[in-house]
Amino acid sequence: MTFTKKRKQRMSILIAAMVIMALLAGCGGGSGNSAQKASGEDDKSQKVQLQFYMLGDAPKDLPAVEAEINKMAEKDLNATVKFNYTTWTDWDQKYKLLLSSGQPIDLIFTADWTQYQAYAKKGAFLPLDDLLPKAAPALQKFVPQDMWDGVKIGGKIYTVPGTYKEYVTNGFVWREDLREKYNLPKPTDIKSYEAYMDGIRQHEPNMKPVSLNSDIKGNLHDRYSELVTKSVGALPYGIGIKYEKPTEVYKYWGSDEQKEELNTYKRWAEKGFIPKNVLNVKDTLQDQVTSGKAASIFGDNPTRFNDMVIKLKASHPDWKLEYYPFPLTTGFATPVHPIHNGFAIPKSSPNPARALAFYEKLVTDKRYNLLTQYGIEGKNYEVKDGYYQLIGNGSTNGFSREGMNSWAWRNPEYMLFDSGFDRVKKIFAELDKIQKPDLFTGFAEDYTTYQAEKAALEQVEKQYLYPLEAGLIDNVDQGLQTFMQKANQAGLEKIQTEYTKQWEAYVKEKGIK
Amino acid sequence: MAIKEDAYTRLFKIISYAVIIIASIACLLPFLLIISASLTSNESIIRDGYHFIPQQFSLEGYRTVFTFPEEVLRAYGVTIFTTVVGTTLGLFLMTMAGYVLARKDFKYRNAFSFYIYFTTLFGGGLVPWYIMLTKYLGLLDTYTVLIFPGLMTPFLIILMKNFIRSSMPEELFESAKIDGAGDFKIYYRIVLPLSTPGIATVGLFLALAYWNDWFSSSLFINDPHKYQLQYYLYNVINSMQFIAQMGAGTGVSLSNDMPTESTKMAMAIVVTGPILLLYPFIQRYFVKGLTIGAVKG
Repeated sequence: MTFTKKRKQRMSILIAAMVIMALLAGCGGGSGNSAQKASGEDDKSQKVQLQFYMLGDAPKDLPAVEAEINKMAEKDLNATVKFNYTTWTDWDQKYKLLLSSGQPIDLIFTADWTQYQAYAKKGAFLPLDDLLPKAAPALQKFVPQDMWDGVKIGGKIYTVPGTYKEYVTNGFVWREDLREKYNLPKPTDIKSYEAYMDGIRQHEPNMKPVSLNSDIKGNLHDRYSELVTKSVGALPYGIGIKYEKPTEVYKYWGSDEQKEELNTYKRWAEKGFIPKNVLNVKDTLQDQVTSGKAASIFGDNPTRFNDMVIKLKASHPDWKLEYYPFPLTTGFATPVHPIHNGFAIPKSSPNPARALAFYEKLVTDKRYNLLTQYGIEGKNYEVKDGYYQLIGNGSTNGFSREGMNSWAWRNPEYMLFDSGFDRVKKIFAELDKIQKPDLFTGFAEDYTTYQAEKAALEQVEKQYLYPLEAGLIDNVDQGLQTFMQKANQAGLEKIQTEYTKQWEAYVKEKGIK
Repeated sequence: MAIKEDAYTRLFKIISYAVIIIASIACLLPFLLIISASLTSNESIIRDGYHFIPQQFSLEGYRTVFTFPEEVLRAYGVTIFTTVVGTTLGLFLMTMAGYVLARKDFKYRNAFSFYIYFTTLFGGGLVPWYIMLTKYLGLLDTYTVLIFPGLMTPFLIILMKNFIRSSMPEELFESAKIDGAGDFKIYYRIVLPLSTPGIATVGLFLALAYWNDWFSSSLFINDPHKYQLQYYLYNVINSMQFIAQMGAGTGVSLSNDMPTESTKMAMAIVVTGPILLLYPFIQRYFVKGLTIGAVKG
């Protein structure tokens, strides 16, 4: 008897403790919104410190730049700003915590790859529609209207998009000196690329014909779908949507199209292009080429190609790299979507209006812009014949080009480039002629209804699809069948139906045909 | 003349020596590989892979690390500071807690014990913890946040409590009380001197936890000057790999020179080196503390 009584008592303590905990947690969540001031009224006589959150690592000379910026900002806006960095280690977890804990943050980096769409949908950011004309009219004018429209989620603007137009579309990268030496064809599509790799295999048996690492899906499949199947973007869950027919969603997994893709990899693996241990390789694709281990990359973007050329110029001046953008084969190039780089004001910001006014200065005021993009002139960089020149080298200079990770507030009018960047500009100019808008990135997937299935499917994909994509399975048909069976068990049907529904709604909302 | 060992003892010795030798080689080899890699040129690492003897000798990695030695040294300073302060404070608090909970005449000791024990079973999770420390206590970007959350570990408090209860009879406190000692006097004149083995064990656990901590820096520190050593290292090693993976689809161009393979290895050596040299001198304390701790549970 006494036993049960004691137990009851304990249970009640337990329950009470849980209730209290739940209450406390509830309070924590609720109080985050009370600090909100979205009206746009800003009393500039009160001095404030803005909290600015960036991804990545802070450059060494940040304190000096911050001090300079603060001198100007104090005079112009009666505000100082503190630049905080998350580092690249576990940044996504920190990013989530920063936004969910309701800390006083005034400006935070957003992009499609930091789940801007999802956070905006969940209400983590402040809508800027009413605030913009009052707090930052110049900024509103500076960013073209179609970009403002492009970043809208549910009809509202939640981020200030970056306005610099660039292409991160892929293209073949190969060793031109080797190609000339052995008289191999120029890679422009899968067939010519394979012939190039065949030649490398034959003449340079110790070299890898193509640079690959454990990220097989990114290295092979994503590139393939950009070049051959011409999909609207890197689609998940075996969904297929072609750029020419964005309203038609089909099942890519299990299709003949996919079989052809997998057979290609199978052939490559048999020819020895894909090493057996590829799923264990951790070296970056670029390092493998610049060290002479591999002879090509199946798809990289123009900017990174340019970085490699510069690197090689110093270490192996006799090697030559060439580039062929996929869009020249597919017939269209999509510049980065406006949400690719931007800054949002979290809901918990105590000074949204001042933050926006400061951001306007960063973008439109040349002094602010140059200082935050390139550091202090004469100390960190100098301008020679209109080109940007770093003083010293990367390890002695405390603020390299765009060292603050300041991609979002690039202003094309003030931008300075390395002389080597002319190569990229030339590629961009070529792509400009065939440009078409990015249809995919504006889409905000909401996976709350199929979260469990999604996790299960990811596991299945890793276990059964990656080896297929690495050409490691002897019987492709059978392997694909096994994968499809496991994927269906994981709930593929449900995910695809739901995703299709969301996509169709998006296409309709944006008027994409 | 020594007693002749029988065949079984000899066999046992041979086997155990062999096992230990193999095990210690297995522990040493990866470290040798790091040393060798730190002395190899970066290109050679990528092209030829890791070798025990550098294919292409180069000191470039070390040169890069020592261009800005103050960063490593500062991280060292932070870790030493948090370890010393955290261990001292934590030991003080936990021996106090253990002593109080071990006293039978403390009326609410069961309730308190349960409360402490309860936290090992149910925690609020990461987000409430984060909100608590940053929003309500305002500890973001302070040294306190590196020390404070680790001060009272429930497991170590229970360990301390059990140790005091089993090694010091209640009568001891009674007689001290009769002699006119107050509670605090009993604590520092009787309990503390008698529980040195327990303190050594708990102190060791605590010190190791502080020394190896990187998670607090990762979550709560924005100012690179306040990074702990382990996090500093972790961050350097991680960031390049991460950026390399991410950069392809994002068009994020990173013009700043990222640390190369050999630099990462050199960094690992520089960071672990001093503690390795220190270890032989303090090792005997470690062994003593652990055995006593193991016996007493």
